[in-house]
Amino acid sequence: MTAVLTPARPLVEAREPRRRVRTADHVAGWGFAAPAVVVIGLFGLVPVVWSFVLSFQHTDLTSPGTFAGAANYAKLAEDPLFWDAARRTLVYTALFVPLTMVLALPIAVLLNQKVRGIALYRMAVFVPLVTSTVATGIIFSWLGNPQFGLVNALLDGVGLPKQGFFQDPGQALYAVVAMTVWGWLGFAVIIFLAALQNVPQDLMEASALDGCGRVQSFWHVELPQAAPASGFLLVWLTINGLQLFDAVYVTTKGGPLRATTVLVYHLYNEAFVSFDGGYAAAIGCVVFLVILVFTVVQLRFNRRTSHFEAR
Amino acid sequence: MTALRIRRRPSALHLVLLPLSLVMIAPLVWMVLVSFSTREESRRFPPGLPSGLEWRNYADALTDAPLGSWLYNSTVVSVVCVVGNLVLCSLAGYAFARIPFVGSRIAFLAILATLMVPFQIVMLPLLVMVRAVGLTDTLGALIAPNLATAFGVFLMRQFFLTVPRELEEAARIDGAGRLRILVQVLLPLMRPTLATLAVLTFLQTWNDFLWPLIAIQSPDTMTVQIGLQSFQGAHTTNWPKLMAGTVLSQLPVLVVFFVAQRFFVRSVASVGIK
Amino acid sequence: MTQGSGLSRRAVLILGGVAALTAACGGGSDGSGGGKVTVWHGYTDHEAEALGKLASRWNSAHPEQQVELVFNGGNDGALQKTLASFVSGNPPTVAYEFGSSLNGLAARPQTQDLSAAVRDDKDFGWDDLFAAGRDAATVDGKVYGVPALVDNLSLVYNKKLFDEVGVAYPTESWTWEDFRAAAVKLAKPEDNRYGWAYVNDGSEDTVWRFLALLWQAGGDLLSSDGKKAAFDSDAGRQAMQLLHDMAVVDKSVYLDTGDQQYVNLFNSARIGMLWTGPWDLGSINEDVSYGVQFLPGKVTHATIAGPDVFSVFGDSGKADAWPFLKWLLSAEIHLEFALETGHLPIRQSELSLPKYAEFLEKFPGNKVFVDNLAKNVSKARPNIAEYPKISQALGAAVQSVLLGKEEGAAALAAARAEVDEILAGS
Repeated sequence: MTAVLTPARPLVEAREPRRRVRTADHVAGWGFAAPAVVVIGLFGLVPVVWSFVLSFQHTDLTSPGTFAGAANYAKLAEDPLFWDAARRTLVYTALFVPLTMVLALPIAVLLNQKVRGIALYRMAVFVPLVTSTVATGIIFSWLGNPQFGLVNALLDGVGLPKQGFFQDPGQALYAVVAMTVWGWLGFAVIIFLAALQNVPQDLMEASALDGCGRVQSFWHVELPQAAPASGFLLVWLTINGLQLFDAVYVTTKGGPLRATTVLVYHLYNEAFVSFDGGYAAAIGCVVFLVILVFTVVQLRFNRRTSHFEAR
Repeated sequence: MTALRIRRRPSALHLVLLPLSLVMIAPLVWMVLVSFSTREESRRFPPGLPSGLEWRNYADALTDAPLGSWLYNSTVVSVVCVVGNLVLCSLAGYAFARIPFVGSRIAFLAILATLMVPFQIVMLPLLVMVRAVGLTDTLGALIAPNLATAFGVFLMRQFFLTVPRELEEAARIDGAGRLRILVQVLLPLMRPTLATLAVLTFLQTWNDFLWPLIAIQSPDTMTVQIGLQSFQGAHTTNWPKLMAGTVLSQLPVLVVFFVAQRFFVRSVASVGIK
Repeated sequence: MTQGSGLSRRAVLILGGVAALTAACGGGSDGSGGGKVTVWHGYTDHEAEALGKLASRWNSAHPEQQVELVFNGGNDGALQKTLASFVSGNPPTVAYEFGSSLNGLAARPQTQDLSAAVRDDKDFGWDDLFAAGRDAATVDGKVYGVPALVDNLSLVYNKKLFDEVGVAYPTESWTWEDFRAAAVKLAKPEDNRYGWAYVNDGSEDTVWRFLALLWQAGGDLLSSDGKKAAFDSDAGRQAMQLLHDMAVVDKSVYLDTGDQQYVNLFNSARIGMLWTGPWDLGSINEDVSYGVQFLPGKVTHATIAGPDVFSVFGDSGKADAWPFLKWLLSAEIHLEFALETGHLPIRQSELSLPKYAEFLEKFPGNKVFVDNLAKNVSKARPNIAEYPKISQALGAAVQSVLLGKEEGAAALAAARAEVDEILAGS
């Protein structure tokens, strides 16, 4: 049995097995996948396609609209608010995703130890996921309060100048990054933890027998094992990062001076404050395209690197 | 020698994990502190420690509102969705990962695509779909769209990809059918993943606010998150009571996590110890 | 490839069905059926209890016209929820909406035009209602709701702080200069104490305070034909100058981020004066001795009101809901509600009812609010579709001046250009 799983196995098949795909496979494949596909197709895909249709209309989302051709997209191309929002969203995501992942992996490794009280530590890391967005927003707003916040009190104590954080147009977006990284860390840790847990005991022992130290084990065994989880997280966090909304809504409401108006917040304004549903749908579709491109690229990259299966 | 190594290592770990945990739980601690304050205490700045334990906030939260009914609704929705996801996403995730069937790539991409349009736009067409299947204003409206989630399928597929093919091939040579292999060979290996899926699905459905807000109208069908809003006034909020209600509403999720994390049982012993 | 087009064919078929459904159900509505009236509201706590008691009373007296109260999940989501209900085909009979939402609702076929009802039904007393409420319920000359709540901004101040710094309490004839001077005296930057609080999150909360200043200086938001911005005027610049002077020069203003910490700070004697409405009075702690006064003035002591309305939906909704709404908004019943909740009266005639004295005794702060409502609310925000965008432009301008990023004149000019464009595009 261990022979199957030791590192230097030459027979490991990373590529698709070279055998004919039989009809039985097609049937089995669709048989297994159909229930989920039906549910997601009906309640996920149809509304998404419907949103595309809406983006080509002038509509307020609740009454039938009139066909508008590409007017919404033309408007979008010329709307400085849209481009600003796009830029901000990309900046936010470029910070949020790597930070979350780079912080989460070491924490997951730490939580993967047999230490007394590890269950409690795991709970603690999970807690931010459970804390409501509203409560999180209030707390972070308060922590970052320019006059009274704890962070500024600490800065002041060390002799550094007080900062505006959520109240400063130049800092607000980064404050939101901090808040959302805190919020998502637990999620990333759990995913990494699950991946690390899937590492068969034998592999770790084998590497120890081979004389690997702790760090080397991490680098050669745990890190590769976490690779598919990284792939998943990269895609998932990007999808969520590009659609940031709640955190902005409960803290800065897109401000100050639009500093945190990201794409989905702009969309929300257009849909429910200005009632320009078609335009909002067009923004939504652009968000979709951006995410789609990112995801396809990342998935391609994953396929090539996920061949770290048990060596 | 080995005994010494065990004792020294855990203490270093605590040095890192303890402060980290404090940072992570600080907001929850704040929520609990506020939930034990009086209204007057909660309306001061800077907020201080409550002088006593105002249990009455919890009593109020439980009695002033049909918290029981909300908890029941939320529980039904979340539990059914967890079961649904565990079953449907395992099946689909396995298929997408290990069965080369026609159209699988497109179907998978289409599933992912459903995650890529912001919900604020999608929710109104979704409402029409729900109405089309006759589920408006029922718990079914909350369950059906989440019975299988793109997240679940994606997660399961990703983790199925990490399971060595040899295991499956060995079983097939023994003559087992795909379903048997999936249930008896593969899934037992993926307990941590399944536990993760269960917990995160529970969390997502339990904390969902926007969709229940627009899909549910009758008071009887309200979930916890919507109900909690009734503790939040238009301008004045009874913060202690709201925090008490919020803490109560998060307990089930914490319990689910605590139970599930037992499945992360195979923690790797410190290397070098056999 | 075949799979791909197969999917999209399926999608098109489903879409066609959905489109047909929406078209069929977008027009009319199911409304209430058989006299039952559903009322969606955002009341919580005492307010919900008070409304519940009234509804039970109505229900026992009118078994054939039952009213069901349904909590809407919070007023912030009320408009979204109402719009969603149009999509899902069962809107409520009555829904509590922000006054600012009315414009969006007026355009929908489900929203009922109540103009005839309010004018023809003499018992309803449309003209008895305070003007602010009537204005908020009117869009383009037509009435799309009845006032549910009226309020306004008044000056609320901490008496003890005033005593401490030796400044006389604000009077009805306070000028901007008096106000600014008091704020300076009250503020103690090294102690993190402020003279005034301003909500600076760029939302309507930021804008409506500025509008009060603008009107006090004799200015207007839009030209009389509503086609151009009028706030980039001397009056506008004076208002911005005051904000600049107080926030950037004197540094006597606490800029609230929208999380409403200003109330807690006021309770802890860290802010001397607030411009706020009756709703905050309930959050002031017992140990804080406060006073209420008209806003300071320049040309006038104008203030601004932010009424909310009950809107009616569905063809049969009008007939079904009218008796209940009429009863609910009648002077006696509304005063009872006000006694329980501290809400301001919505009608003139409530002031002459015998229980009004009890109301003033129970809520001493409200006297000034009511007087303010009667005397100083003469202008209202325009109920036009473009208002939300106008508000955003102005909100950004005010925010940038308060943060010291821009001079008032420049900010106003930029906002004017934006608003003119918005109005031109409509």
